[in-house]
Amino acid sequence: MASYMSMGEAHRRITDYLNRFVDVISYQDGTSLKPLLSLSSESPSFLALADALNLFQDANRLIKQADKYSQYAEIVAPLFRAMQSYRVGHLVESYQAFEKSANAFIQEFRNWESAWALEALYVVVYEIRILAEKADRELASNGKTPEKLKAAGSFLMKVFGVLAGKGPKRVGALYVTCQLFKVYFKLGTVHLCRSVIRSIETARIFDFEEFPVRDKVTYMYYTGRLEVLNENFPAADHKLSYALKHCDPQSEANIRMILKYLVPVKLSIGILPKKALLEKYTLVEYSDIVLAMKRGDLRLLRHALEEHEDRFLRSGVYLVLEKLELQVYQRLVKKIYIIQKQKDPSKAHQIKLEMIVKALKWLEMEMDLDEVECIMSILIYKNLVKGYFAHKSKVAVLSKQDPFPKLNGKPINS
Amino acid sequence: MGFEGAYDDMMNQGGVTDTRTTLDPKSSLEHHTVDPSHAQNPSYYAPPSGSEPASWTSYNLDQHSDPRSVPQASAGTVSSSGATNIEYANYATYPNNDPYGYGNTNYSGYYSSYQQQPNQPYPQQQPSQTYGQPAGAYQSTGAPHQPISSFQNAGSYAGPTSYSTTYYNPGDYQTSGGYPSANYNNTQANSWNQGSYANYGHQYPNYTAESNGAYNAQSAPATSVQYQQDYKQWADYYSQTEVTCAPGTENVASTSTSNLAAPPVLASGYSAPNSQQLSASTAPSSWRPESGLSELPSVQPSAPVNNVHEGYWKQGGQGFQNYTVSSTQSNFQKPLDLNPISGSFQNQQKPEVPQQPYVPYATSHQVAQTYHLSLPPPPPPPPPQTAAPPFDSARVSNVQIPTNPRISSNLSASLPKNSNASVGVTKPAYIGVSLPKTNDNASSHAAADSSLKPGMLPKSLRGYVERALARCKDDRQMSACQDILKEVITKASTDGTLSTRDWDTEPLFPLPNVDLINDSTTPSSLIKNRRSPIRRTKSRWEPLPEEKPVEKQLCYTPSNVKHGGPIYNNERDKQVSTARPENKENKFSNLKFYLGNQKETNKAGLRPAKRQHVGDGRIGLNDGDSSSDSDKEQSLTAYYAGAIALADSPEERKRRESRSKRFERNHGSRSAPNLTKTKSVGGGNLYTRRASASVLANSNSLDDGAASRAVEDIDWDSLTVKGTCQEIEKRYLRLTSAPDPATVRPEEVLERALVFVQDSPKNYLYKCDQLKSIRQDLTVQRIHNELTVKVYETHARLAIEVGDLSEYNQCQSQLQTLYAEGIKGQHMEFAAYNLLCVILHSNNNRDLLSAMSRLSVEARKDVGVKHALAVRAAVTSGNYVLFFKLYKDAPNLNTCLMDLYVEKMRYAAVKCMTRSYRPTLPVSYVAQVLGFQSTDEKNTSGLEECTEWLKAHGACLATDSSGEMMLDAKASMASLFMPEPDDAVAHGDASLAVNDFLTRSLS
Repeated sequence: MASYMSMGEAHRRITDYLNRFVDVISYQDGTSLKPLLSLSSESPSFLALADALNLFQDANRLIKQADKYSQYAEIVAPLFRAMQSYRVGHLVESYQAFEKSANAFIQEFRNWESAWALEALYVVVYEIRILAEKADRELASNGKTPEKLKAAGSFLMKVFGVLAGKGPKRVGALYVTCQLFKVYFKLGTVHLCRSVIRSIETARIFDFEEFPVRDKVTYMYYTGRLEVLNENFPAADHKLSYALKHCDPQSEANIRMILKYLVPVKLSIGILPKKALLEKYTLVEYSDIVLAMKRGDLRLLRHALEEHEDRFLRSGVYLVLEKLELQVYQRLVKKIYIIQKQKDPSKAHQIKLEMIVKALKWLEMEMDLDEVECIMSILIYKNLVKGYFAHKSKVAVLSKQDPFPKLNGKPINS
Repeated sequence: MGFEGAYDDMMNQGGVTDTRTTLDPKSSLEHHTVDPSHAQNPSYYAPPSGSEPASWTSYNLDQHSDPRSVPQASAGTVSSSGATNIEYANYATYPNNDPYGYGNTNYSGYYSSYQQQPNQPYPQQQPSQTYGQPAGAYQSTGAPHQPISSFQNAGSYAGPTSYSTTYYNPGDYQTSGGYPSANYNNTQANSWNQGSYANYGHQYPNYTAESNGAYNAQSAPATSVQYQQDYKQWADYYSQTEVTCAPGTENVASTSTSNLAAPPVLASGYSAPNSQQLSASTAPSSWRPESGLSELPSVQPSAPVNNVHEGYWKQGGQGFQNYTVSSTQSNFQKPLDLNPISGSFQNQQKPEVPQQPYVPYATSHQVAQTYHLSLPPPPPPPPPQTAAPPFDSARVSNVQIPTNPRISSNLSASLPKNSNASVGVTKPAYIGVSLPKTNDNASSHAAADSSLKPGMLPKSLRGYVERALARCKDDRQMSACQDILKEVITKASTDGTLSTRDWDTEPLFPLPNVDLINDSTTPSSLIKNRRSPIRRTKSRWEPLPEEKPVEKQLCYTPSNVKHGGPIYNNERDKQVSTARPENKENKFSNLKFYLGNQKETNKAGLRPAKRQHVGDGRIGLNDGDSSSDSDKEQSLTAYYAGAIALADSPEERKRRESRSKRFERNHGSRSAPNLTKTKSVGGGNLYTRRASASVLANSNSLDDGAASRAVEDIDWDSLTVKGTCQEIEKRYLRLTSAPDPATVRPEEVLERALVFVQDSPKNYLYKCDQLKSIRQDLTVQRIHNELTVKVYETHARLAIEVGDLSEYNQCQSQLQTLYAEGIKGQHMEFAAYNLLCVILHSNNNRDLLSAMSRLSVEARKDVGVKHALAVRAAVTSGNYVLFFKLYKDAPNLNTCLMDLYVEKMRYAAVKCMTRSYRPTLPVSYVAQVLGFQSTDEKNTSGLEECTEWLKAHGACLATDSSGEMMLDAKASMASLFMPEPDDAVAHGDASLAVNDFLTRSLS
């Protein structure tokens, strides 16, 4: 805002803001309160106000001038400071001031009987997280320990405590929870999610279906991710599918985020996605993996994993994808079995170890007999192959009925 | 470790204070009682003039012996100035300290006097009540101050605290002399706070009860016993404070100061000291000259206080106390000292002694007398008062003045001594007179004492004070802050909001601009002060029970001399020399003592060292350890002794400084005045640094900024210990107090120690112990270099070899931070270990993912890391064949980590085999695939071992027609089980065995 602003103008803007702030609260107009609390939106009105504050400097005097302002001084004064600091790029200070303001806001919010200010609270909660992230970036660039996001996390827990009770405000709890998830996932302190999840899923005051859809989707997405980490595939499948089902079809980015976890989960329970799906949501990193599973191409799988290792490691699906190897083996053995069957149906159910070793060799996978025997043993053990292995003759004897059972949405039993 | 150490120290101190507190009450009572007597003994004045050292000791004794008499002393101090309270405390502490720690003789005398006096004191209690009135008057003014002081003290020290802490803050506490004085202060504080005599009286009763009991106990046993107790306490205290020497030093310092101060004071006693600084008092002229002699004088005006404080802070309180004491003493002592100057204290005391059968008693009395004597002069000082205020205000600031009044009240009490009859009346007079002196000394003291000491303050206020002081970057700021705090608290107390206000949320005032306040202090004086504190620290060790007996034998003069002696030793270079000229008469004794004392000190040093160990809890640890505890202890003691002998060496000085710095930090900024002194002292100190920094900064803005992050801003470098231990072998003892440099090995020695351990043929337990002690020494000295990495790597490898995962994890986490700092080491090797550890033992996917994603491209090419990743793949896929292949050709110590997983892997493999193989499987194959290797070269290729293992796990085995052992897969399917591990772990602690854990978790 390079435009020149006179002192009078600044004064006017600040009083305008104060008037609106007071009016909105007295009318309990939550929607109009929202923009007044938002910093990161960087709306023109906010920028103008911040400039005015920086010019005027002594906004506290204005606040103290009138009783109607000063009753919200605890909120507004630090909020002004946060705005000023934000405007001049001092994000850490901005965060600190904003947290103070937010604390005061929560105090007020607690006293408001109805949930009219829930929307405004969302803004506060959102802002505090965004500001904390920005402040942490500033801290990190100055070589200091980023700690603001952590502080924001504990602040959000406090907000959660305010909302998690009986009454109309409880529907806001899930929004805060989702913001908390974002904080924790970013911080890598995922284990902290557990307590919130427990209170959401077990507390009787919450009826999950009562929450807003967007929060439900977000919640399911994050809890689904947690289940992926735990390799609890059925639960992960359930949650992520729920998120996918209820997600706004227009927001493709969100759908992509969900699919990013849902695809590996589905793969590991034996359900392969269509190529078109992967292409539509630009999840091509999975396409080679899917192909490898279809072909029983161990080399392709390993190559795909290696190629996108960083990405998979970061998103946390690497270990899940790696376990698809067994299914690839299964596919490979099945292919051998099919070929044998075409040649000699009577001996098809007896697969010589050497055949598999040879097949792997074609795939440039150098494995000795012992290792392949071990893999066959594991396949049988995991019920990916029905039958038994005769060590003496080095032959895997397959069951005549359904030698390669499909997973059909069930995870590999371990 | 450093943190821990500091923390521990703090804790220890807290504990110490507790003990002190208990003692203090008694002493305070005694002091009070004594005071009346003192007051009553106008005649005493003359005697005191004799020996300065004696005066100190005697003073101490008096205070101690006459807890009630302490009031006298305090009164005397008070009379000198508002500072008197503080001084009082200092005094009392000093006396206590000296008597206890150093002045054993004094102590004994004290005790004996105690017993004798008790009667007197009690009777005198009433007098004390009278005093109380004055005190009450003081209370109004002083109450706020005292609370403050108590706060600070309490904060740093713990509960016992309120009393002891208050004392402590003054610095008197540390001296432990704190007893009487502390009590006194407490009582005073209480009375003051309450402002009602009744309170005072209550306190007294309590005190008397306590003091009686305590005293009786003490007195009942031989004095030596009492001393020992005291000593122990001291020793604990010392050890806690980290400074082994500290106790002795404190005493020494105090004595030294007293000596120094005494000479000047000779002429005009209290008034003189005051006057010296103020020049208003009658004695000033004499004072100053004397001061010049002792160096202290010059300092005294501004420096005395500062010195006291500095000593306080720097030396970890004790030193400070001495200083404070000295400074206060300077006020007090000056009078006393002045007397000594004329003759030696001892001499004077001797004359007096005849009057009093008990030497200690006599001494105490004498001291009191000296005080009294000195006190008389003060009355004239009224003019000085006016003069003094200016001084105070200049240095101390407004707050001090208010405190002064209180002090003055105390002083007045002392003055009453002079007048005997009219305590209350005298008080005013004293106040006037004393104020000047007290202002100087007291100002700082008072500020610290009265404002900070009072134990009455709410905890939150203490926290507030601590926070406020923690921001202070240097002594000056400290003192300035204290002044402000005094004002704040005074105001709050007058408002009645002291206890109601929410101090936790109370915003801190902006940091004052310190330079203006403290510039007046003279560098030279500061230096002197410093030295004395430093020496005192040394002397801490010196004062020992041993000395006490000796002193006793020596009789009055000897005892005095001895006291002086230790002091001298501590302060040898400067103070002694200065003191000698002053006390010509004393010189003889002093010199003799000096020599004798040195020896004694050394002995004392030894003892303290031992005790320290005990106090530190090291002994306990040692007990736990099997072998060479006693040897070690001996060697350690030797080191301590050496350290003591080296007391004057620059090294030692440095150490002391660092110690005292630590102390300062620990205690936050209680004694700002002290700090100021230190600042001026010298370049290397934190104080100085801070001071200079503050000077540079000077601006409040900087200070403010610093305030918010005071803790993080602590300059740990300055706190870092520099080891001097030359022993290669050293047992590991968990530090419960600050490390003693004499027991810490410097880097070169540690390097040799590492090699020694690596080459040692002894078992892991021994090596682990040695490595831990090396690690501790590294941590304590904050050595972060390749040696550190080497040590941790060595330890980690050893731990891996024996499967001590908990120790390994400690090393690993340290190594990760070290590598992150860019220090070279076997980064890859340990990245591989880390991976393996996560894979095999934590079973946490998130950890695994983050560990994997952290691997750099180069790391992935490393043999060890590659291997670890392959192992991971084998484990996740359950590929036992691959696993045992990798197991066989694992690089580095990967095998050892895999070892811990082998059992689990084998079991899973056999389970898998029994499920998938039909009908049977040769055991030889199982043995081959599952990595059973022949233990001997009998070509069995581990077959027998495998058979044993299979049997142990419930497998069904059968011999086929060809005689080969076969595993019956189907039959084994249902019968497999994981047996309870019967293994005794290599390192002896079965609970640390991973196998055990894994085994259990398998079920």
